Formats: sequence, structure tokens, C-alpha cells
Amino acid sequence: MPPDDELALLRRVAAKDRKAFEALYHLYYRRLFGYVLKLTRKADVVEEVVNDVMLAIWSHAPGFDGRSRPSTWIFGIAYHKALKALARRPPEAADGAEGPEPVAEGEPESLAARRELATVLGRALGSLSPEQRSVVELAYYYGLAYTEIAEIVGCPVNTVKTRMFHARRRLKELLPELGISSHAG
Amino acid sequence: MRDREDHDERSHQRIWELLPWYVNGTLSGQDRERVEDHAAGCRRCQDEVEACRRTAAAVKGLGDVAPSPHPVQLQRVLARIDEAERQGRHERRERREEDAGVRFGAPLRALIAATPRPLRGALLAQVAIIVLLVGVLVWGELHSGARVTGSAPPASYQTLSAPAPAPGRTVALHVMFSPRTTEKEIRELLLAVRGEITAGPSPLGVYTVEVSAADSPVSVVLARLRSESMVTFAAPAAGGNPARGDR
Repeated sequence: MPPDDELALLRRVAAKDRKAFEALYHLYYRRLFGYVLKLTRKADVVEEVVNDVMLAIWSHAPGFDGRSRPSTWIFGIAYHKALKALARRPPEAADGAEGPEPVAEGEPESLAARRELATVLGRALGSLSPEQRSVVELAYYYGLAYTEIAEIVGCPVNTVKTRMFHARRRLKELLPELGISSHAG
Repeated sequence: MRDREDHDERSHQRIWELLPWYVNGTLSGQDRERVEDHAAGCRRCQDEVEACRRTAAAVKGLGDVAPSPHPVQLQRVLARIDEAERQGRHERRERREEDAGVRFGAPLRALIAATPRPLRGALLAQVAIIVLLVGVLVWGELHSGARVTGSAPPASYQTLSAPAPAPGRTVALHVMFSPRTTEKEIRELLLAVRGEITAGPSPLGVYTVEVSAADSPVSVVLARLRSESMVTFAAPAAGGNPARGDR
């Protein structure tokens, strides 16, 4: 949906139009679910966070000033709700001990290699802080500009670049499978 | 010489920081040109562009695991919105009442302050007597009015044949829907019986639905629910009538 149409939808939500809210819910549910899951890596908190985000959209849509894209505003809410949900959880032991999934018998070598890479990459992303992981996902998976990422996470552009710098260095250490050279910069 | 090397290194670092966004194609034209000019003569940045491309491809390759929204999830959000709005209305009403109290109390406090201290006790006693008398008059009016005029009292009685619960009372029912039921169908059915999901689904898929017992007898609501093919189970939530709870 073009941003202008999303803006019109958000304006209707601001006017307490429930049909528009339901349309926005259906439009954003999967995107928010995927983003919150990537950010938190905790399947059990995702649904609650998505619901909190939708409730916040309903409550705060009248205050949306239209200076950013609706998706930037909505992902910004999701980012902060997800971090709050993580902060409420008790700290857990790192899950870096598990090895790659076993290769199924008869599986083509290339497929097995891809699966192993996905496992290792997943674990490497899991070792980043949620703030660093969010920048990596927003840049590489969602293809967003650093200015837009700064709006979503609510920090200066230089902080976004610094988080990406540390994330890249960490991924280099953990991902020789990607053929990434080990020197940073 | 040393200054020149520091300057070059700082320029390199600034370009290096931009490379992920060079790779995802979101740099402005000016930034893109700076990166390309620098990378043309910098082997480290050329390698890093390739590293960023491989990382981006791998991150994208992980895909997105996101289910379609279940109707019940939307129902929950809508229920939370209803609850939040009820709460908001309640708080606004309370604020208005507090404001009214302040408005009423302010002149009285001013009057007390303006009264010489020895007479304040007498003033307060008079105010208390006036409030008491007004209360007695209003009470008497309310309780004698119906008898004098003979007008029908509010429907606070119950007939023997159809015992009606007190107005405003709600009854909790347990309801299960068939898996193919859409959110719209659930919403329309709940609207028809004036019900509201207040809890659920349980691990077995049971919802708690509250219906107003003032609108129609619970047995009628249950009969209506059970007549719908989408409803696989409907019964009072805890130990009530009718005894024939299951479908």
C-alpha cells in the first residue's frame, strides 16, 4: 500500500474509525510480528507486544504529525514496546552452546550448507544486543536508510552507525562462513 | 605527513560506516558518489562492500516467520480498546465530579474564612442542619411521590413464571467455535446476543462470553448460540441453569 494510502488510513484511525483500525491491523500484523520476533527472538512475547503496539496506535494516532512515514512511526512504537517487554523478562543464559542442526540423510550438500549457515547466522544475530540487532535487521532485511532507522529507534544517526559498526565487527568474528575478512575498517 | 595520514584514515572510517547503506541502496546521491570515489582506490572498502552484500543476502535469506492474524487476536485488541475507553470515560466523569465538588466547596470555604473565629462553630452547625433538612425533604419526596401519584414504580419486581435478574447483571457463558469460524462471524453473533468476550481462548479453545441477563433470559441466549453451526459448545460458565449445557 502506498504511504499516502496508509496515511489516510491512519487519519481515519485517529478519528476513531474502527473499520480503518481493522484494515490497519490486517495490513501491519505480519510485518510487526516478523519484526518483533527478529528483535526479541522470544516467540512467547511477540503476540502481546503486537497487541500493545496496535492499542498504542489506536490511542496515539491523533498525535501522529505526519512528518515521518506511517510505517516509520509504527515500527518505532514496536521497537520501544519490544525493548520494554524484554526488560520485563528475567535474564536468561546465552543459548550459544547448541550446535548446528544435524544434516538430514540424502539432503543435497548445498541445501545442507545453507541450513547450517542459517543456523550459525541466527546464533550470531542472537549474540548481538537487541539495539544492534535491530539496526542490522532494519538495514539488511527491511532495506531502510540510516535516517529512517534513527527515527524508528529514537536516537541520533551517529548512534545508528556506531551500533552497526559494533554489530559488523561481532558478525565478522562469528561468521567466517560468510567469507568476511576479520579486520574491521 | 602524519596529519595527512590521520585525515585519510578518518575519511576512510566515515566511508566505511556508510557501506551497509551503500549496499542496501538507500544512500543519497552525494553520499553514494563519495563512497564510490573512495572505494575505487581502497581495497579494504571494496572487500567490505562484498562482505556487507554477503551478510545482507544471508540475513534476507533467513526469511520472515509471521502467521496471518487470527480473528481472536483482533477481538482481544478490540476488547482492550473498549476497556481502555470505558476506563477513560470513567476517569473523565470522576474528574468532572471532583471539579464540581471543588466549585461547590470554594464559596463555603471563603464564607468560613470571612466569618469571625468565635462564630465559625455556629455557622458550621447551621450548614449541617440545612444539609440534613434538605436530605430529609428529598428523601421524603422520593418515597412518597410514587404512592401519592399512583404512577407505576420502576420494574423492580419479578414474576413467578419468568424470574428476571436485576438490571445490569451479566452472566458468563463458556463458548467454543468451530475452527473455520471467521472473526466477522464471531463479531456478528456476539453483537446479536449482546455478548462480549472477556477471557479465552483456553488451551482447549474455550472463550468466556458475558451476556446481559437483563436483555433476555440466559436460556434464550444459549438456545440462540446453539442454533448456530459455528458454535460447537455453549454452556453457563459455572453451575447455573439450564442444566442441559452441552450440544
